[in-house]
Amino acid sequence: MMRELLIIRRNHSYWFCMVLFPLFTIVFFTSLMDDGLPHEMPIGVVDLDNTSTSRSMTRRLDAFQMSKVVAHYPSVSEARRAIQRNEIYGFLYIPKGTTEKLTSARQPKISYYYSYTTLASGALLMKDLKTISTLGSAAVGQATLLAKGATDAQVQTLLQPIRIDLHQIANPWTNYNVYLTTTFVPGMIMLFILLISAYSLGNEIKFGTSKQWMRRAQNRMVIALIGKFLPQFLIYLAVVMFYEWYVFFHLGFPHLGSAWTLLLIAVMQVLASQGFGIFVFGLMPSLRMSMSVCSLWGVLSFSMVGAAFPVMGMDAPLQALSWLFPLRHYYMLYQIIVFNGYPLLEAWFHFVALGAFMLLPWFVISKLKNAMLNYVYIP
Amino acid sequence: MSIFHDIYNGIQDICYIWREEMKQVFHDEGVIIFFFVVPLVYPLLYSWIYNNETVHEIPVVVVDDNHSSMSRKFIRMCDASPDVKIAFYAQDMDEAKSLVSRQLVKAVYYFPSDFDAKLNRMEQATVGVYCDMSLMLAYKAAFQTAQLVSMQMGAEMKAKLGGYYTNREAAIATKPLDVADVPIFNPQGGYGSFVLPAVLVLILQQTLVLGIGLSAGTTREKSRYGWLIPVSRHYHGLLRIVWGKALCYFMIYAVMGVWLTMAVPRIFHFPQLADGWTLLTLLLPYTLASIFFGMAVSCMVTYRENVMLLMVFVSLPLLFLSGVSWPLSNIPAFWQGAAWMFPSTFAIRAYVRLNSMGASISDVMTEYNMLWVHTIFYFFVACTVYYVQMSRARRGTLDRLAQKKQSADDVEDDSIDTK
Repeated sequence: MMRELLIIRRNHSYWFCMVLFPLFTIVFFTSLMDDGLPHEMPIGVVDLDNTSTSRSMTRRLDAFQMSKVVAHYPSVSEARRAIQRNEIYGFLYIPKGTTEKLTSARQPKISYYYSYTTLASGALLMKDLKTISTLGSAAVGQATLLAKGATDAQVQTLLQPIRIDLHQIANPWTNYNVYLTTTFVPGMIMLFILLISAYSLGNEIKFGTSKQWMRRAQNRMVIALIGKFLPQFLIYLAVVMFYEWYVFFHLGFPHLGSAWTLLLIAVMQVLASQGFGIFVFGLMPSLRMSMSVCSLWGVLSFSMVGAAFPVMGMDAPLQALSWLFPLRHYYMLYQIIVFNGYPLLEAWFHFVALGAFMLLPWFVISKLKNAMLNYVYIP
Repeated sequence: MSIFHDIYNGIQDICYIWREEMKQVFHDEGVIIFFFVVPLVYPLLYSWIYNNETVHEIPVVVVDDNHSSMSRKFIRMCDASPDVKIAFYAQDMDEAKSLVSRQLVKAVYYFPSDFDAKLNRMEQATVGVYCDMSLMLAYKAAFQTAQLVSMQMGAEMKAKLGGYYTNREAAIATKPLDVADVPIFNPQGGYGSFVLPAVLVLILQQTLVLGIGLSAGTTREKSRYGWLIPVSRHYHGLLRIVWGKALCYFMIYAVMGVWLTMAVPRIFHFPQLADGWTLLTLLLPYTLASIFFGMAVSCMVTYRENVMLLMVFVSLPLLFLSGVSWPLSNIPAFWQGAAWMFPSTFAIRAYVRLNSMGASISDVMTEYNMLWVHTIFYFFVACTVYYVQMSRARRGTLDRLAQKKQSADDVEDDSIDTK
């Protein structure tokens, strides 16, 4: 174990990958999406009507938190070109004669074009559009009803007979940061653990120190492995605990689970990825192959985790395949016991699965021993 | 010796290095993985993952305390919508909550017992929607469906209560201002169509840099003293080395680039508005910039595995910095600046606009020019680092020679001493 600490101190890659890069990732994601929701996204207006009504509509749109009217365009095709030049994300089109038709009750039609090439901005701009169109309609209806002598309560009822009472459990601000950071940062940390586990084993063979390492442990593989990975485990645990403290306590991300559940999933996360990393190296005791597999597997798990695009929307074979990714189980565990604060029993399957990942090295122990004692590194 | 002879010699050396590099690429399984297997297989895998584009039929549980024809109509209309499926009926909120916690449903629709009474008394009725917020798309589907149904039922009630003479009058009264919302460039709001183009372009740069780094690492490890440049008659001109290697990578990635940017989107029916020539115009500077970027990075790695640790790590941040998933206008200025260092940032932006949004090359001129700037800049960086490597190797060789002489002398001295 002391020997491992010395190795970690001497080789700068460890220092970078185990501490600096994870910290960088934490800072990167939390600062990138500091707003939580995108504010003041640039949009345009094509106002061919140009009356006080249409201008007040533009002003109302501008007053929304998400949208900011940055330009007026003389025609639709000009506005479309502005989207293609990435100057705006969408535009409101008010055709000529809108006010005239509105006052004479001939149901004018306005249109709202928005680009869906960025899903987040598209969805949010659409929300603003829905609100403004409802408000526009409501203003006219309200004026008519008030003229007929209805009370305010009656007007409200008539305009919107059924109201949706929305409860956004655990994330009432619809904060994107909460979604992305809590999946991608642990994912990155797990990716590093996978890589470093394979890397540190492979380097023993590469630099021909594996026999010396085995001798220290009296040729017992289990002791050798524990000695090698215990210091790493402690460092990772410290990093993960720092991440959890920073995100959940310092930045105040929602967490309904207790501090014990946080500690539990931190330990599970580190051990399961170490287990998987050792297992991959045991299957392919070559530094380059195992690291390639680990990195490809790790990068793929960001898609298979199903945080952005849900697993239930994927094809059935992929749904089954997602079980093979430790990050997927970590995410489910986090989501059930920390984010929503349900009891651990509800997530037993994912708990057991992570446990299974920890035990994976068991299958390859003899192969690993053979590799450590007999293999010679070929560049 | 004429200048033509020099040029002829140079071209011959370039071709020699090109061939040597080609041989090395095909003999190194690590490089083969990143140059061929990953660019060929990964796009297919990603496209498969996101091929369904949207989620339909989100399971929802209903708690109906009202049991009236009104509440049942609401439930039926939700169930008939494409995005929501009424999977369970629960007796009370506790039962519904336990269904949510077991991941069987994603949202709860709650109808209070006075739902239809309020409607018939001309008071505003409410429907409670409780969403599990762990999946954005599920939340959006459950909430939007309920909202649409409530608006639709509200409009029907308004029309009935208003006592209008004609259908047209009722239609105008319930909706004085008609609004068309037109999502453009990705009309179905598909997840794959939005994220895949960026991923495809990023794969090109990442695999290229990884492959170049690995192959440089191999050269170093094979060479006895850890040098990047072998001692050989052909490796004595800076430009020859850089161009020779670049030609080899360019040859491979001309094929891979076409596969990634043209073939894959066509196979999986992602938006493809740009024609082949426009994309090739974009690919040329991007591939060159990535190659020189990769060569510059490869010189900084001593061991072949370290490049993997580095490049795998930056992939995800690079994807975010390109402004695909988080709007560009909301990325902090500091990170925007950092993103300017990587060719992929500009290539992704340009590619998305050309291919998904049907822009012309003149609309993406800033990005396009930046790619050429990158190409030239990284070409000089690559030349510089290779120059440093070369002089180091030359000095190293001279040192070794001197050392050998010295040690030979020492041995002689020793032998004299022992005598």
